[in-house]
Amino acid sequence: MTFPFEWLVQGGREVGLVVAVAVGFGFGFVLERAGFGRAQKLVAQFYGDDMTVFKVMFGAIVTAMGGAVLLSGLGLMDLRAVADVATSPTWIWPMLVGGFVLGLGFIVSGYCPGTSIVAAGSGKVDGLATVAGVVAGTLLYGELMAWPAFAAFTESGDLGHLYLQDLLHLPAPVVALAVAAMAIGCFVGAERIERLLTRGPGTPVAPRRAVLAGFAGLALAGLATLALPRATEAVAVPSRISPEALARRVVDSPWKLRVLDLRSQEACAAARVPGAECTPASSLRDLDLGYAAPGRDLVLVADGELAEPPADVRAYRGRTLVLEGGWAAWKAWALEAPEALPAGATADAREAWLFRSGVHAALTGAKAAAPPAPAPGGAAPAKRKATGGGCSG
Amino acid sequence: MKRDPEKFWNPYLAGVALGLVLLASFVVMGKGLGASGASFRIGVAALSVLAPVHVATAPGLKSVAASPLDDWLVFEVLGVLLGGLVGGYTSGRLGVEVLRGPRASVALRIGMALGGGLLMGFAAKLARGCTSGQALSGGAMLSAGSWAFMMMVFAGGYAIAWTFRRAWR
Repeated sequence: MTFPFEWLVQGGREVGLVVAVAVGFGFGFVLERAGFGRAQKLVAQFYGDDMTVFKVMFGAIVTAMGGAVLLSGLGLMDLRAVADVATSPTWIWPMLVGGFVLGLGFIVSGYCPGTSIVAAGSGKVDGLATVAGVVAGTLLYGELMAWPAFAAFTESGDLGHLYLQDLLHLPAPVVALAVAAMAIGCFVGAERIERLLTRGPGTPVAPRRAVLAGFAGLALAGLATLALPRATEAVAVPSRISPEALARRVVDSPWKLRVLDLRSQEACAAARVPGAECTPASSLRDLDLGYAAPGRDLVLVADGELAEPPADVRAYRGRTLVLEGGWAAWKAWALEAPEALPAGATADAREAWLFRSGVHAALTGAKAAAPPAPAPGGAAPAKRKATGGGCSG
Repeated sequence: MKRDPEKFWNPYLAGVALGLVLLASFVVMGKGLGASGASFRIGVAALSVLAPVHVATAPGLKSVAASPLDDWLVFEVLGVLLGGLVGGYTSGRLGVEVLRGPRASVALRIGMALGGGLLMGFAAKLARGCTSGQALSGGAMLSAGSWAFMMMVFAGGYAIAWTFRRAWR
Protein backbone atom coordinates (compact mmCIF):
# COMPACT_ATOMS: atom_id res chain seq x y z
CA MET A 1 0.00 0.00 0.00
CA THR A 2 1.27 3.47 -0.84
CA PHE A 3 -0.75 5.36 1.74
CA PRO A 4 -0.63 6.29 4.52
CA PHE A 5 3.08 7.06 5.01
CA GLU A 6 4.06 4.70 7.82
CA TRP A 7 7.34 6.45 8.53
CA LEU A 8 5.52 9.62 9.61
CA VAL A 9 4.05 7.71 12.53
CA GLN A 10 7.13 5.57 13.26
CA GLY A 11 10.57 7.00 12.44
CA GLY A 12 9.80 10.49 11.17
CA ARG A 13 7.65 11.35 14.14
CA GLU A 14 8.74 15.00 14.33
CA VAL A 15 7.76 15.53 10.69
CA GLY A 16 4.48 13.82 11.50
CA LEU A 17 3.79 16.36 14.23
CA VAL A 18 4.50 19.21 11.81
CA VAL A 19 2.03 17.60 9.40
CA ALA A 20 -0.42 17.48 12.32
CA VAL A 21 -0.17 21.23 12.79
CA ALA A 22 -0.58 21.77 9.02
CA VAL A 23 -3.63 19.50 8.81
CA GLY A 24 -5.11 21.20 11.86
CA PHE A 25 -4.47 24.60 10.30
CA GLY A 26 -6.41 23.58 7.18
CA PHE A 27 -9.19 22.24 9.35
CA GLY A 28 -9.43 25.41 11.44
CA PHE A 29 -9.15 27.75 8.44
CA VAL A 30 -11.90 26.03 6.45
CA LEU A 31 -14.20 25.87 9.48
CA GLU A 32 -13.70 29.60 10.09
CA ARG A 33 -14.41 30.48 6.46
CA ALA A 34 -17.51 28.28 6.42
CA GLY A 35 -18.81 30.41 9.31
CA PHE A 36 -18.28 27.77 11.98
CA GLY A 37 -16.40 30.16 14.25
CA ARG A 38 -19.68 31.93 15.00
CA ALA A 39 -22.16 30.43 17.43
CA GLN A 40 -25.25 31.97 15.77
CA LYS A 41 -24.34 30.46 12.41
CA LEU A 42 -23.92 27.02 13.99
CA VAL A 43 -27.09 26.93 16.06
CA ALA A 44 -29.10 28.33 13.13
CA GLN A 45 -29.09 24.74 11.85
CA PHE A 46 -31.42 23.85 14.71
CA TYR A 47 -33.77 26.78 14.20
CA GLY A 48 -34.62 25.79 10.65
CA ASP A 49 -33.63 28.57 8.31
CA ASP A 50 -29.93 27.91 7.71
CA MET A 51 -28.73 24.42 6.81
CA THR A 52 -25.03 25.38 6.50
CA VAL A 53 -23.86 22.98 9.23
CA PHE A 54 -25.61 20.07 7.61
CA LYS A 55 -24.37 20.92 4.12
CA VAL A 56 -20.73 21.42 5.11
CA MET A 57 -20.56 18.32 7.31
CA PHE A 58 -22.31 15.98 4.93
CA GLY A 59 -20.38 17.42 1.97
CA ALA A 60 -17.08 16.83 3.77
CA ILE A 61 -18.06 13.27 4.65
CA VAL A 62 -19.01 12.46 1.05
CA THR A 63 -15.79 14.01 -0.29
CA ALA A 64 -13.44 12.21 2.11
CA MET A 65 -15.39 8.95 1.88
CA GLY A 66 -15.45 9.03 -1.92
CA GLY A 67 -11.74 9.80 -2.11
CA ALA A 68 -10.79 7.08 0.36
CA VAL A 69 -12.98 4.49 -1.37
CA LEU A 70 -11.57 5.42 -4.78
CA LEU A 71 -7.93 5.25 -3.58
CA SER A 72 -8.61 1.90 -1.94
CA GLY A 73 -10.30 0.60 -5.06
CA LEU A 74 -7.21 1.55 -7.05
CA GLY A 75 -5.05 -0.38 -4.59
CA LEU A 76 -3.24 2.70 -3.21
CA MET A 77 -4.69 2.41 0.28
CA ASP A 78 -6.42 -0.23 2.41
CA LEU A 79 -9.73 1.30 3.51
CA ARG A 80 -10.30 -1.11 6.39
CA ALA A 81 -6.74 -0.91 7.67
CA VAL A 82 -6.84 2.91 7.73
CA ALA A 83 -10.34 2.93 9.21
CA ASP A 84 -9.33 0.52 11.99
CA VAL A 85 -6.63 3.00 13.05
CA ALA A 86 -8.37 6.30 12.31
CA THR A 87 -11.74 5.49 13.89
CA SER A 88 -12.73 4.03 17.24
CA PRO A 89 -14.43 0.66 17.63
CA THR A 90 -18.17 0.82 18.21
CA TRP A 91 -19.53 0.74 21.76
CA ILE A 92 -23.09 1.35 20.76
CA TRP A 93 -24.75 2.36 24.07
CA PRO A 94 -22.23 4.96 25.24
CA MET A 95 -22.08 6.30 21.67
CA LEU A 96 -25.86 6.77 21.44
CA VAL A 97 -26.02 8.45 24.86
CA GLY A 98 -22.89 10.48 24.16
CA GLY A 99 -24.29 11.68 20.84
CA PHE A 100 -27.52 12.86 22.44
CA VAL A 101 -25.79 14.66 25.30
CA LEU A 102 -23.35 16.27 22.86
CA GLY A 103 -26.33 17.53 20.85
CA LEU A 104 -27.73 19.14 24.01
CA GLY A 105 -24.36 20.71 24.77
CA PHE A 106 -24.13 22.01 21.20
CA ILE A 107 -27.30 24.08 21.62
CA VAL A 108 -26.40 25.29 25.12
CA SER A 109 -22.85 26.34 24.23
CA GLY A 110 -23.39 27.24 20.57
CA TYR A 111 -20.36 25.26 19.45
CA CYS A 112 -19.06 21.75 19.14
CA PRO A 113 -15.64 20.94 20.68
CA GLY A 114 -13.77 21.55 17.38
CA THR A 115 -15.52 24.76 16.37
CA SER A 116 -15.11 26.20 19.87
CA ILE A 117 -11.35 26.06 19.30
CA VAL A 118 -11.78 27.92 15.99
CA ALA A 119 -13.92 30.54 17.72
CA ALA A 120 -11.36 30.92 20.51
CA GLY A 121 -8.64 31.33 17.87
CA SER A 122 -10.52 34.21 16.25
CA GLY A 123 -11.01 35.99 19.57
CA LYS A 124 -14.48 34.93 20.63
CA VAL A 125 -14.66 34.87 24.44
CA ASP A 126 -17.69 32.57 24.40
CA GLY A 127 -15.64 30.14 22.30
CA LEU A 128 -12.84 30.23 24.85
CA ALA A 129 -15.34 29.58 27.66
CA THR A 130 -16.65 26.59 25.72
CA VAL A 131 -13.11 25.23 25.32
CA ALA A 132 -12.67 25.52 29.09
CA GLY A 133 -15.99 23.75 29.62
CA VAL A 134 -14.99 20.92 27.28
CA VAL A 135 -11.68 20.42 29.10
CA ALA A 136 -13.56 20.31 32.42
CA GLY A 137 -16.09 17.85 30.96
CA THR A 138 -13.43 15.43 29.76
CA LEU A 139 -11.79 15.56 33.20
CA LEU A 140 -15.16 14.95 34.85
CA TYR A 141 -15.45 11.81 32.72
CA GLY A 142 -11.96 10.76 33.74
CA GLU A 143 -12.88 11.15 37.42
CA LEU A 144 -16.13 9.23 36.99
CA MET A 145 -14.19 6.27 35.61
CA ALA A 146 -13.28 5.48 39.23
CA TRP A 147 -16.93 4.47 39.74
CA PRO A 148 -17.23 0.83 38.54
CA ALA A 149 -20.85 1.01 37.35
CA PHE A 150 -20.03 3.98 35.13
CA ALA A 151 -16.84 2.37 33.83
CA ALA A 152 -18.86 -0.74 32.93
CA PHE A 153 -21.39 1.36 31.00
CA THR A 154 -18.66 3.02 28.95
CA GLU A 155 -17.64 -0.44 27.70
CA SER A 156 -21.17 -1.70 27.00
CA GLY A 157 -22.47 -2.73 23.59
CA ASP A 158 -19.02 -3.62 22.28
CA LEU A 159 -19.37 -4.37 18.56
CA GLY A 160 -15.70 -4.02 17.65
CA HIS A 161 -14.78 -2.24 14.44
CA LEU A 162 -18.13 -2.33 12.69
CA TYR A 163 -18.72 -0.60 9.36
CA LEU A 164 -21.85 0.06 7.34
CA GLN A 165 -20.60 -2.29 4.61
CA ASP A 166 -20.44 -5.08 7.23
CA LEU A 167 -23.95 -4.38 8.45
CA LEU A 168 -25.37 -4.28 4.93
CA HIS A 169 -23.20 -7.12 3.56
CA LEU A 170 -22.31 -4.96 0.56
CA PRO A 171 -18.93 -3.87 -0.89
CA ALA A 172 -17.74 -0.49 0.44
CA PRO A 173 -18.06 1.33 -2.95
CA VAL A 174 -21.74 0.35 -3.17
CA VAL A 175 -22.36 1.73 0.33
CA ALA A 176 -20.42 4.88 -0.59
CA LEU A 177 -22.58 5.35 -3.68
CA ALA A 178 -25.71 4.96 -1.56
CA VAL A 179 -24.42 7.54 0.96
CA ALA A 180 -23.56 9.96 -1.86
CA ALA A 181 -27.01 9.49 -3.41
CA MET A 182 -28.65 10.08 -0.03
CA ALA A 183 -26.52 13.21 0.48
CA ILE A 184 -27.47 14.66 -2.90
CA GLY A 185 -31.14 14.00 -2.15
CA CYS A 186 -30.80 15.64 1.28
CA PHE A 187 -29.02 18.69 -0.20
CA VAL A 188 -31.80 19.24 -2.72
CA GLY A 189 -34.32 18.87 0.12
CA ALA A 190 -32.37 21.27 2.36
CA GLU A 191 -32.44 23.94 -0.36
CA ARG A 192 -36.22 23.55 -0.65
CA ILE A 193 -36.68 23.92 3.12
CA GLU A 194 -34.47 27.01 3.22
CA ARG A 195 -36.35 28.64 0.35
CA LEU A 196 -39.71 27.90 2.00
CA LEU A 197 -38.66 29.33 5.38
CA THR A 198 -36.63 32.36 4.33
CA ARG A 199 -38.17 33.10 0.90
CA GLY A 200 -34.67 34.19 0.00
CA PRO A 201 -32.61 33.19 -3.01
CA GLY A 202 -30.73 30.38 -1.21
CA THR A 203 -27.15 29.53 -2.13
CA PRO A 204 -25.89 30.24 -5.67
CA VAL A 205 -26.95 27.52 -8.08
CA ALA A 206 -23.82 27.11 -10.21
CA PRO A 207 -21.30 25.85 -7.57
CA ARG A 208 -23.96 23.68 -6.01
CA ARG A 209 -24.71 21.91 -9.29
CA ALA A 210 -21.00 21.38 -9.97
CA VAL A 211 -20.35 20.00 -6.47
CA LEU A 212 -23.31 17.65 -6.53
CA ALA A 213 -22.31 16.38 -9.97
CA GLY A 214 -18.77 15.92 -8.62
CA PHE A 215 -20.09 13.83 -5.70
CA ALA A 216 -22.01 11.60 -8.09
CA GLY A 217 -18.99 11.23 -10.39
CA LEU A 218 -16.63 10.41 -7.49
CA ALA A 219 -18.98 7.76 -6.11
CA LEU A 220 -19.45 6.21 -9.56
CA ALA A 221 -15.67 6.13 -10.11
CA GLY A 222 -15.34 4.32 -6.77
CA LEU A 223 -17.97 1.84 -7.90
CA ALA A 224 -16.12 1.29 -11.19
CA THR A 225 -13.02 0.12 -9.27
CA LEU A 226 -14.99 -2.97 -8.28
CA ALA A 227 -14.39 -4.12 -11.86
CA LEU A 228 -10.60 -3.99 -11.35
CA PRO A 229 -9.14 -7.41 -10.58
CA ARG A 230 -6.65 -6.13 -7.99
CA ALA A 231 -9.23 -4.50 -5.79
CA THR A 232 -10.83 -7.76 -4.68
CA GLU A 233 -7.56 -9.68 -4.38
CA ALA A 234 -6.25 -7.59 -1.53
CA VAL A 235 -9.13 -8.53 0.77
CA ALA A 236 -8.61 -12.30 0.60
CA VAL A 237 -5.18 -12.48 2.25
CA PRO A 238 -5.71 -13.15 5.98
CA SER A 239 -3.34 -11.92 8.70
CA ARG A 240 -1.18 -14.52 10.43
CA ILE A 241 -0.39 -15.00 14.08
CA SER A 242 2.58 -16.93 15.41
CA PRO A 243 2.13 -19.64 18.07
CA GLU A 244 3.92 -17.45 20.60
CA ALA A 245 1.74 -14.41 19.87
CA LEU A 246 -1.36 -16.57 20.13
CA ALA A 247 -0.21 -18.04 23.44
CA ARG A 248 0.38 -14.55 24.83
CA ARG A 249 -3.08 -13.44 23.82
CA VAL A 250 -4.66 -16.59 25.27
CA VAL A 251 -2.94 -15.85 28.56
CA ASP A 252 -3.33 -12.04 28.65
CA SER A 253 -6.76 -11.37 27.19
CA PRO A 254 -8.68 -14.53 26.22
CA TRP A 255 -11.93 -12.54 26.12
CA LYS A 256 -10.77 -10.76 22.98
CA LEU A 257 -10.20 -14.02 21.11
CA ARG A 258 -12.26 -16.80 19.66
CA VAL A 259 -10.14 -19.77 18.61
CA LEU A 260 -11.71 -22.15 16.10
CA ASP A 261 -10.04 -25.54 15.62
CA LEU A 262 -10.84 -26.68 12.09
CA ARG A 263 -9.27 -30.16 12.46
CA SER A 264 -11.33 -33.34 12.80
CA GLN A 265 -13.44 -33.75 15.93
CA GLU A 266 -11.20 -36.60 17.24
CA ALA A 267 -7.94 -34.72 16.80
CA CYS A 268 -9.36 -31.60 18.43
CA ALA A 269 -10.88 -33.57 21.31
CA ALA A 270 -7.48 -35.11 22.03
CA ALA A 271 -5.51 -31.86 22.25
CA ARG A 272 -6.18 -28.26 21.28
CA VAL A 273 -5.16 -24.66 21.96
CA PRO A 274 -6.59 -23.69 25.39
CA GLY A 275 -10.10 -22.31 24.98
CA ALA A 276 -10.42 -23.43 21.35
CA GLU A 277 -13.77 -24.60 20.03
CA CYS A 278 -13.80 -27.86 18.06
CA THR A 279 -15.36 -26.78 14.78
CA PRO A 280 -14.57 -29.14 11.87
CA ALA A 281 -15.15 -27.54 8.47
CA SER A 282 -18.58 -29.16 8.12
CA SER A 283 -19.90 -27.52 11.31
CA LEU A 284 -18.77 -23.96 10.48
CA ARG A 285 -22.04 -23.07 8.77
CA ASP A 286 -23.96 -23.65 12.03
CA LEU A 287 -21.92 -20.97 13.80
CA ASP A 288 -23.50 -18.23 11.62
CA LEU A 289 -20.29 -16.22 11.83
CA GLY A 290 -21.70 -13.52 9.54
CA TYR A 291 -24.13 -12.58 12.32
CA ALA A 292 -21.80 -13.10 15.28
CA ALA A 293 -20.72 -9.99 17.20
CA PRO A 294 -17.36 -8.98 15.71
CA GLY A 295 -15.76 -7.75 18.94
CA ARG A 296 -13.37 -10.70 19.25
CA ASP A 297 -10.62 -11.69 16.83
CA LEU A 298 -11.18 -15.06 15.22
CA VAL A 299 -8.14 -17.36 15.17
CA LEU A 300 -8.22 -20.35 12.81
CA VAL A 301 -6.23 -23.49 13.62
CA ALA A 302 -5.88 -26.06 10.83
CA ASP A 303 -3.65 -29.15 10.57
CA GLY A 304 -0.91 -27.25 8.78
CA GLU A 305 -0.60 -23.87 7.12
CA LEU A 306 -4.03 -22.61 6.05
CA ALA A 307 -3.83 -20.72 2.76
CA GLU A 308 -7.29 -19.23 2.72
CA PRO A 309 -10.08 -19.14 5.32
CA PRO A 310 -13.17 -21.21 4.44
CA ALA A 311 -16.10 -19.30 2.91
CA ASP A 312 -18.21 -19.57 6.08
CA VAL A 313 -15.48 -17.83 8.06
CA ARG A 314 -15.04 -15.05 5.52
CA ALA A 315 -18.55 -13.83 6.38
CA TYR A 316 -17.24 -12.85 9.84
CA ARG A 317 -17.27 -9.05 10.26
CA GLY A 318 -14.42 -8.80 12.73
CA ARG A 319 -10.75 -9.60 12.25
CA THR A 320 -9.73 -13.11 11.24
CA LEU A 321 -6.25 -14.44 11.97
CA VAL A 322 -4.68 -17.69 10.79
CA LEU A 323 -2.31 -19.62 13.07
CA GLU A 324 1.07 -19.72 11.35
CA GLY A 325 1.97 -23.33 10.55
CA GLY A 326 -1.32 -24.56 12.02
CA TRP A 327 -1.57 -27.18 14.73
CA ALA A 328 1.82 -28.68 13.81
CA ALA A 329 3.52 -25.40 14.67
CA TRP A 330 1.55 -24.99 17.90
CA LYS A 331 2.48 -28.54 18.93
CA ALA A 332 6.15 -27.92 18.27
CA TRP A 333 6.09 -24.61 20.16
CA ALA A 334 3.87 -25.41 23.14
CA LEU A 335 3.82 -29.16 23.69
CA GLU A 336 7.49 -29.93 23.24
CA ALA A 337 9.92 -28.76 25.88
CA PRO A 338 12.03 -25.82 24.71
CA GLU A 339 15.74 -26.33 24.35
CA ALA A 340 17.91 -24.85 27.03
CA LEU A 341 18.68 -21.18 26.59
CA PRO A 342 22.14 -20.52 25.16
CA ALA A 343 24.54 -18.56 27.31
CA GLY A 344 24.57 -14.82 26.86
CA ALA A 345 20.97 -14.62 25.63
CA THR A 346 19.36 -11.17 25.59
CA ALA A 347 16.76 -10.18 28.16
CA ASP A 348 14.03 -10.50 25.51
CA ALA A 349 15.08 -14.01 24.56
CA ARG A 350 15.20 -14.95 28.21
CA GLU A 351 11.69 -13.62 28.80
CA ALA A 352 10.39 -15.48 25.71
CA TRP A 353 12.04 -18.69 26.88
CA LEU A 354 10.54 -18.39 30.36
CA PHE A 355 7.10 -17.78 28.87
CA ARG A 356 7.38 -20.74 26.54
CA SER A 357 8.55 -23.15 29.20
CA GLY A 358 5.76 -21.90 31.46
CA VAL A 359 3.16 -22.58 28.78
CA HIS A 360 4.73 -25.99 28.14
CA ALA A 361 4.60 -26.87 31.81
CA ALA A 362 0.99 -25.74 32.15
CA LEU A 363 -0.22 -27.65 29.10
CA THR A 364 1.68 -30.90 29.52
CA GLY A 365 1.79 -31.14 33.29
CA ALA A 366 5.55 -31.48 33.05
CA LYS A 367 7.55 -29.95 35.82
CA ALA A 368 8.56 -26.44 34.85
CA ALA A 369 12.16 -26.27 33.75
CA ALA A 370 14.57 -24.54 36.03
CA PRO A 371 14.96 -20.82 35.37
CA PRO A 372 17.53 -20.22 32.64
CA ALA A 373 20.01 -18.12 34.53
CA PRO A 374 21.75 -20.85 36.54
CA ALA A 375 21.12 -23.53 33.88
CA PRO A 376 23.93 -22.57 31.48
CA GLY A 377 26.37 -22.75 34.37
CA GLY A 378 26.19 -19.16 35.49
CA ALA A 379 27.90 -17.93 32.34
CA ALA A 380 25.18 -15.43 31.35
CA PRO A 381 25.11 -13.28 34.49
CA ALA A 382 28.90 -13.32 34.72
CA LYS A 383 29.25 -12.10 31.15
CA ARG A 384 26.67 -9.40 31.65
CA LYS A 385 28.52 -8.08 34.65
CA ALA A 386 31.78 -7.93 32.78
CA THR A 387 30.46 -5.97 29.79
CA GLY A 388 27.77 -3.79 31.32
CA GLY A 389 29.50 -2.22 34.28
CA GLY A 390 30.04 1.20 32.74
CA CYS A 391 27.33 3.07 34.57
CA SER A 392 27.34 1.49 37.98
CA GLY A 393 31.02 0.88 38.42
CA MET B 1 -9.25 41.58 -1.40
CA LYS B 2 -12.16 43.18 0.39
CA ARG B 3 -12.88 41.83 3.85
CA ASP B 4 -16.51 41.22 4.57
CA PRO B 5 -17.25 39.71 7.99
CA GLU B 6 -20.73 38.67 6.85
CA LYS B 7 -19.46 36.76 3.83
CA PHE B 8 -18.92 33.03 4.20
CA TRP B 9 -17.77 30.42 1.73
CA ASN B 10 -20.41 28.66 -0.27
CA PRO B 11 -21.35 25.74 2.02
CA TYR B 12 -20.93 23.12 -0.71
CA LEU B 13 -17.45 24.34 -1.64
CA ALA B 14 -16.57 24.60 2.07
CA GLY B 15 -17.75 21.01 2.48
CA VAL B 16 -15.50 19.86 -0.35
CA ALA B 17 -12.55 21.81 1.12
CA LEU B 18 -13.14 20.30 4.55
CA GLY B 19 -13.45 16.86 2.98
CA LEU B 20 -10.11 17.30 1.20
CA VAL B 21 -8.41 18.27 4.49
CA LEU B 22 -9.88 15.17 6.10
CA LEU B 23 -8.86 12.97 3.15
CA ALA B 24 -5.32 14.38 3.32
CA SER B 25 -5.21 13.46 6.99
CA PHE B 26 -6.29 9.88 6.20
CA VAL B 27 -3.95 9.52 3.24
CA VAL B 28 -0.82 11.12 4.69
CA MET B 29 -1.03 10.17 8.35
CA GLY B 30 -3.63 7.40 8.44
CA LYS B 31 -5.48 9.36 11.11
CA GLY B 32 -8.72 11.29 11.32
CA LEU B 33 -9.36 14.81 12.57
CA GLY B 34 -10.23 15.38 16.20
CA ALA B 35 -10.67 17.93 18.94
CA SER B 36 -11.99 16.53 22.22
CA GLY B 37 -9.15 14.02 22.61
CA ALA B 38 -6.69 16.89 22.76
CA SER B 39 -8.89 18.79 25.24
CA PHE B 40 -8.66 15.80 27.58
CA ARG B 41 -4.90 15.64 27.29
CA ILE B 42 -4.54 19.39 27.91
CA GLY B 43 -6.83 19.06 30.93
CA VAL B 44 -4.79 16.18 32.32
CA ALA B 45 -1.59 18.18 31.80
CA ALA B 46 -3.07 21.11 33.73
CA LEU B 47 -4.41 18.88 36.49
CA SER B 48 -1.11 17.06 36.90
CA VAL B 49 0.49 20.37 37.84
CA LEU B 50 -2.09 20.84 40.61
CA ALA B 51 -2.46 17.23 41.77
CA PRO B 52 0.24 14.97 40.31
CA VAL B 53 -0.38 12.04 42.66
CA HIS B 54 -4.10 12.03 41.95
CA VAL B 55 -3.57 12.06 38.16
CA ALA B 56 -1.06 9.22 38.35
CA THR B 57 -3.49 6.97 40.25
CA ALA B 58 -7.02 7.87 39.01
CA PRO B 59 -8.24 5.01 36.78
CA GLY B 60 -9.66 7.35 34.15
CA LEU B 61 -6.63 9.64 33.94
CA LYS B 62 -3.49 7.60 34.45
CA SER B 63 -3.50 6.16 30.90
CA VAL B 64 -2.23 9.49 29.51
CA ALA B 65 -0.61 10.79 32.71
CA ALA B 66 2.98 9.97 31.71
CA SER B 67 3.23 12.49 28.85
CA PRO B 68 -0.22 13.98 28.24
CA LEU B 69 0.82 16.52 25.58
CA ASP B 70 2.93 14.19 23.46
CA ASP B 71 0.22 13.26 21.01
CA TRP B 72 -0.72 13.87 17.38
CA LEU B 73 -4.08 15.39 18.34
CA VAL B 74 -2.55 18.03 20.61
CA PHE B 75 -0.47 19.34 17.69
CA GLU B 76 -3.43 19.09 15.33
CA VAL B 77 -5.53 21.20 17.70
CA LEU B 78 -2.75 23.77 17.91
CA GLY B 79 -3.11 24.00 14.12
CA VAL B 80 -6.88 24.40 14.45
CA LEU B 81 -6.34 27.34 16.78
CA LEU B 82 -3.92 28.96 14.31
CA GLY B 83 -6.28 28.25 11.43
CA GLY B 84 -9.10 29.96 13.30
CA LEU B 85 -6.84 32.95 13.99
CA VAL B 86 -5.68 33.35 10.37
CA GLY B 87 -9.13 32.59 8.97
CA GLY B 88 -10.63 35.20 11.26
CA TYR B 89 -7.95 37.78 10.44
CA THR B 90 -8.22 37.37 6.67
CA SER B 91 -12.02 37.48 6.71
CA GLY B 92 -12.29 40.46 9.05
CA ARG B 93 -13.95 38.38 11.75
CA LEU B 94 -11.00 38.51 14.16
CA GLY B 95 -11.76 40.45 17.31
CA VAL B 96 -12.33 39.99 21.03
CA GLU B 97 -16.09 39.80 21.51
CA VAL B 98 -18.84 37.68 23.01
CA LEU B 99 -21.16 36.20 20.39
CA ARG B 100 -24.69 35.88 21.76
CA GLY B 101 -28.34 35.93 20.85
CA PRO B 102 -30.10 39.35 20.77
CA ARG B 103 -31.80 38.75 24.12
CA ALA B 104 -28.99 37.01 26.03
CA SER B 105 -26.76 38.85 28.51
CA VAL B 106 -22.98 38.39 28.48
CA ALA B 107 -23.05 36.59 31.85
CA LEU B 108 -25.76 34.21 30.65
CA ARG B 109 -23.86 33.55 27.44
CA ILE B 110 -20.57 32.74 29.19
CA GLY B 111 -22.41 30.54 31.69
CA MET B 112 -24.08 28.69 28.83
CA ALA B 113 -20.76 28.27 27.03
CA LEU B 114 -19.15 26.77 30.14
CA GLY B 115 -22.12 24.51 30.91
CA GLY B 116 -22.58 23.37 27.32
CA GLY B 117 -18.86 22.77 27.00
CA LEU B 118 -18.93 20.64 30.14
CA LEU B 119 -21.75 18.53 28.69
CA MET B 120 -19.90 18.14 25.39
CA GLY B 121 -16.56 17.25 26.94
CA PHE B 122 -18.22 14.54 28.99
CA ALA B 123 -20.28 13.30 26.04
CA ALA B 124 -17.31 13.26 23.66
CA LYS B 125 -15.30 11.09 26.03
CA LEU B 126 -18.26 8.76 26.45
CA ALA B 127 -18.71 8.46 22.68
CA ARG B 128 -14.96 8.20 21.97
CA GLY B 129 -15.00 11.36 19.90
CA CYS B 130 -16.92 14.51 19.12
CA THR B 131 -18.39 15.88 15.93
CA SER B 132 -14.86 16.03 14.45
CA GLY B 133 -13.40 12.70 15.46
CA GLN B 134 -16.53 10.61 15.53
CA ALA B 135 -19.14 12.11 13.18
CA LEU B 136 -16.82 13.56 10.53
CA SER B 137 -13.84 11.18 10.48
CA GLY B 138 -15.75 8.05 11.48
CA GLY B 139 -18.66 8.93 9.21
CA ALA B 140 -16.36 9.25 6.20
CA MET B 141 -14.84 5.87 7.06
CA LEU B 142 -18.38 4.44 7.16
CA SER B 143 -18.11 3.40 10.82
CA ALA B 144 -21.53 2.23 11.99
CA GLY B 145 -21.14 3.68 15.48
CA SER B 146 -20.17 7.08 14.05
CA TRP B 147 -23.35 7.26 12.00
CA ALA B 148 -25.45 6.27 15.01
CA PHE B 149 -23.63 8.97 17.02
CA MET B 150 -24.23 11.60 14.33
CA MET B 151 -27.99 10.91 14.23
CA MET B 152 -28.10 11.27 18.01
CA VAL B 153 -26.25 14.61 17.93
CA PHE B 154 -28.87 16.04 15.60
CA ALA B 155 -31.63 14.40 17.69
CA GLY B 156 -30.24 15.97 20.87
CA GLY B 157 -29.88 19.37 19.21
CA TYR B 158 -33.41 19.46 17.83
CA ALA B 159 -34.80 18.08 21.13
CA ILE B 160 -33.50 21.01 23.19
CA ALA B 161 -33.51 23.81 20.58
CA TRP B 162 -37.04 24.97 21.38
CA THR B 163 -36.34 25.17 25.14
CA PHE B 164 -33.33 27.38 24.49
CA ARG B 165 -34.86 29.56 21.76
CA ARG B 166 -34.79 32.68 23.94
CA ALA B 167 -31.04 32.43 24.26
CA TRP B 168 -30.48 32.50 20.51
CA ARG B 169 -33.44 34.19 18.79
